[in-house]
Amino acid sequence: MSGHELHPLVKQLLDGDITLADLPAELRAEGEAALRLLAGVDRTDVSMPAVTWRVMAKLERRRRRFLPWLLAPALAIAAALVIWLVPRTPAPASLVTVRFVLVAPDAKQVSLAGTFNHWDLQATPLVRAGATGVWTATLTLPAGQHQYAFVVDGARWVPDPGAPAIDDGFGRRNSVLTL
Amino acid sequence: MRSGSQATDGDIVRAVLAGDRERYAQLVERYRDRYARYATRMLGSVDAAEDAVQDAFVRAYDQLAQCKEPDKFVGWFFLILRNRCFAERRRNRTSASLEAANDVAAVDRADGGAEAAERRRALQLALLELTADQREVFVLKHVEGLSYGEIAERLSTSIPSLKMRMHRAYDKLREQLRDHT
Repeated sequence: MSGHELHPLVKQLLDGDITLADLPAELRAEGEAALRLLAGVDRTDVSMPAVTWRVMAKLERRRRRFLPWLLAPALAIAAALVIWLVPRTPAPASLVTVRFVLVAPDAKQVSLAGTFNHWDLQATPLVRAGATGVWTATLTLPAGQHQYAFVVDGARWVPDPGAPAIDDGFGRRNSVLTL
Repeated sequence: MRSGSQATDGDIVRAVLAGDRERYAQLVERYRDRYARYATRMLGSVDAAEDAVQDAFVRAYDQLAQCKEPDKFVGWFFLILRNRCFAERRRNRTSASLEAANDVAAVDRADGGAEAAERRRALQLALLELTADQREVFVLKHVEGLSYGEIAERLSTSIPSLKMRMHRAYDKLREQLRDHT
């Protein structure tokens, strides 16, 4: 037996297959020393409460392809929305034309992300009306309920202050439009 | 369908695959802490372990359709987390050693007892010197408290193979901790 290796019976002791009393007397000291080694095992429970929201936020963020929503508060944007339901003649009865308006004087770009465009930040940009800071987009949407938010400068998600909102399940609010 | 609190893993997996993706949070909630300690002892760092557990859940979500037995989600998830821990250990061994000592020190400040603290710290560092295979069987048996039979089932391997790994681990630990026994 090498001096670096524990006796097989001592390994059985560490495995819990035998007790210290089962060891021959000449191995007791080695057995006791080996058990002291195991006394240092750290069995402290570890809790990771943040993992749940981190996982779900990552899945959601990836789905929406937007920057972390933790950074998303509306900053100093004076936002207001006016929605005009503009019945335009050729639209079938099941479609409704909606104008979205956001006042965001400091924004460089604004887009609309929602259930109607699969939360694609690029799909529905708003157009700035002159130097007024008023951004608008007109969409024709199917009747029913839609959830959406404005996205300012590609990163800041701004719920519509003029529309009802619901929790999206991940700590943010989505605006709700029912047509 | 059972209610949310009583739903089986299989119920939830099938609901997520059917499009109710928010139900996945229930699986994360159910198992994140069960494997937090395993990942922490494998990686020697709570921070690294939290990243590993998070990534494993995201990866499991991505591959959920490949979970052939939804009612055995937890065993399938464990193998994903295990792979993630092994990969992380290969990448980042040195920094883990330093963090391991710090993490253990933090625990021991709370527990008190300089001798116990030193013993824990020494063992934690010595564990990082084991191979990943050796370390894993040590963690599962002596930290998680599983029997060889349970470990063999979880890792799809034989008990003699596990004992061989463990007994080599004992020898290495004894060598590493010669001054502490």
